[in-house]
Amino acid sequence: MITKTMKISKMLKDYPQTIDILLKTSPHFSKLKNKILRKALAARVNVEQAAAIAGVDLSALLYRLNKSVNPIAESQIVSANIKKEKNIMEENDFNFINNLNPDKIILLDVRPIINTGKDPFLEIMSTVKALKEDDIFLLINSFEPIPLYSVMGKKGFDYKIIKEEEVYKIYFFKNNVPASSTGENTENGLTSAQIPHNYENIIEIDVRELTPPEPMVKVLEALSKVDYKTVLVVHHHREPLMLYPKLEERGYKAISNKINDNYFKVIIMKKMDKA
Amino acid sequence: MQSESLVSAYAPPFKIVLKYFIAAILSFSILNLLLILNYRYISGFHFQPKILALTHIATLGWITMIIFGAMFQLVPVVLEVKLFSEKLAEIQFWIFLIGIIGLVTGFWNFDTGIHLTASAIILNIAILIFSFNIIVTMTRVKKWNLTGLYLAAAIFYLITTAVAGLLLSINLGYPFIRISHLQYLNLHAHIAFIGWVSMVIMGVSFKLIPMFTLSHGYSTVSGKIAFGLINAGLLGISTVMHYEDLTIYFYISVLLIVAGIFSFLFQMYVIFKKRLRKKSDIGIKFSKTAYILLGITTAFGSLLTFTNISNKMNVTLVYGYLIIFGYISMLIVGQMYKIVPFLVWYHKYSSKVGIETVPMLKDMFKEKPAYAGYYFMVSALVGVIFSLAFQIPSGLLISFGVMFIGSLIFLFNFSYILIKA
Repeated sequence: MITKTMKISKMLKDYPQTIDILLKTSPHFSKLKNKILRKALAARVNVEQAAAIAGVDLSALLYRLNKSVNPIAESQIVSANIKKEKNIMEENDFNFINNLNPDKIILLDVRPIINTGKDPFLEIMSTVKALKEDDIFLLINSFEPIPLYSVMGKKGFDYKIIKEEEVYKIYFFKNNVPASSTGENTENGLTSAQIPHNYENIIEIDVRELTPPEPMVKVLEALSKVDYKTVLVVHHHREPLMLYPKLEERGYKAISNKINDNYFKVIIMKKMDKA
Repeated sequence: MQSESLVSAYAPPFKIVLKYFIAAILSFSILNLLLILNYRYISGFHFQPKILALTHIATLGWITMIIFGAMFQLVPVVLEVKLFSEKLAEIQFWIFLIGIIGLVTGFWNFDTGIHLTASAIILNIAILIFSFNIIVTMTRVKKWNLTGLYLAAAIFYLITTAVAGLLLSINLGYPFIRISHLQYLNLHAHIAFIGWVSMVIMGVSFKLIPMFTLSHGYSTVSGKIAFGLINAGLLGISTVMHYEDLTIYFYISVLLIVAGIFSFLFQMYVIFKKRLRKKSDIGIKFSKTAYILLGITTAFGSLLTFTNISNKMNVTLVYGYLIIFGYISMLIVGQMYKIVPFLVWYHKYSSKVGIETVPMLKDMFKEKPAYAGYYFMVSALVGVIFSLAFQIPSGLLISFGVMFIGSLIFLFNFSYILIKA
């Protein structure tokens, strides 16, 4: 049975037929047809978040998903009253935004990245890392990036949303009471403020079935292909703590994104030369 | 989750660890050579000078030496803390080595009195330095885990073993122990093998086997149960065996230990079942055989406790050989084939990967001879047990010879790795 906390990736793996339900439910889910995006996005989002992203009713979605899995069974779904915390802007908030110093707004439109079938998480994190204390981060996307809110929350960011037609503008700003980091996301060596957002190539390697030191060997060997326009995405079974200093030595940096206890996505990119 | 690696920023300099490994592996070959030269003595009652001397080359020179080295590497890595003193680890090595030579020659010539007792005191000093070093290191640990618990318990039993050994050595010259010397020796040996050596082996197995086989997502309940059972049983026998009459509590304690060991073996089975990396290699092959031998040895040990087969000729010798050369040596050789090539590779080549061509891990040693070594050791083990059981001196000589070849292959491969270091 599919629950609201089930990750989309697990659902699609266990019940491949549910992809059709998702596609029928909302055009937002069409991104899942793309393999890379499915891998990247579906592992981070559960059913509840997916419903919120697509703007559909969670209980109805759950009902349809479960029905496709097991049409005979009595639907056990308790119509859940989902408390959707909408941070849609109020009238006076617009004034607040309009009063902001435009120089302080750092804008990142991830729609082109999504449309080319890539995972924007890396770009988002790079941009966030480069923010100065009083900068405002404006993210533009075609859907609400709900999982991002909690990631940003841990980093001490609050957010406001403005929805214009099919475009979501999310303003992230420091709320000055940063929650303690849970260690779920670890950045290493990200100090440069000049991080490009225009990666064209992604090299992916999966080292989860290799024993030490093979994962390290594979990553270090792949480094020669990583340039300013290329990122290396490593699927790892643990956080490669011993790799970080080796990357640092060679002028690369890594962001490890914990998917679960035995799955880390490590994103490696070349450091910009400080001019 | 804690780091899953053999190395980390906490690890001490490799040369300290290496010193222990080299001494241990040389001891193993010397031990096997001495067994060939003295095979006539390996028969009958176990309490005789040559057998006591050889046993201590095995337990101190080979087994404990290698455990010291491995713990200096693994305690900091597994518990994410820096070793309290690298200097002490360095000093302790030489004191320990002198103690071993003293004790072994003392037994060999049955030079009881000052020679033997002084050696036992020197060994106790080395062991106390080690324990002090590790205990202080452990007080700084922030995140404990199952492996850490096993290792901490092992230190307690190491000290117990050493002190008991010292008392035994004094008792040989100036008898003062109220209970029989042999019963106390029996306790000393079992605390050593189960409390010290096996606790370390078990704790380290929980960490290394999943790392080498890429196993995760398994339950560790059996490992925790094993810890409780074995410790309860060990404390039980340590108390009961201080009295003349072995009561029902003795048998209960033995059963607890046996149940604990099988609980550990079940945990290993669970870990192997969940492994992602199905391909076996020489290290895993040795280790698997060792775990099976642990099961057999434990069953044999309980047979000795609950029946009177120990009256039969050479049974105690078979039991001892099974423990030292079966379960423990197989496991050590297996784990060394995984650990040493990795450490050498890491220190020497990991910084050069992708910049220049470096050897692969599997090129660090010759795998074919290693497999041959495995079959030599297994057939020697079977040969020795068979020859002891049926009292065939020529068979014993040949089997010791085969084991010696096995140990030389290991020595050869080990040197081959170190030449690259």
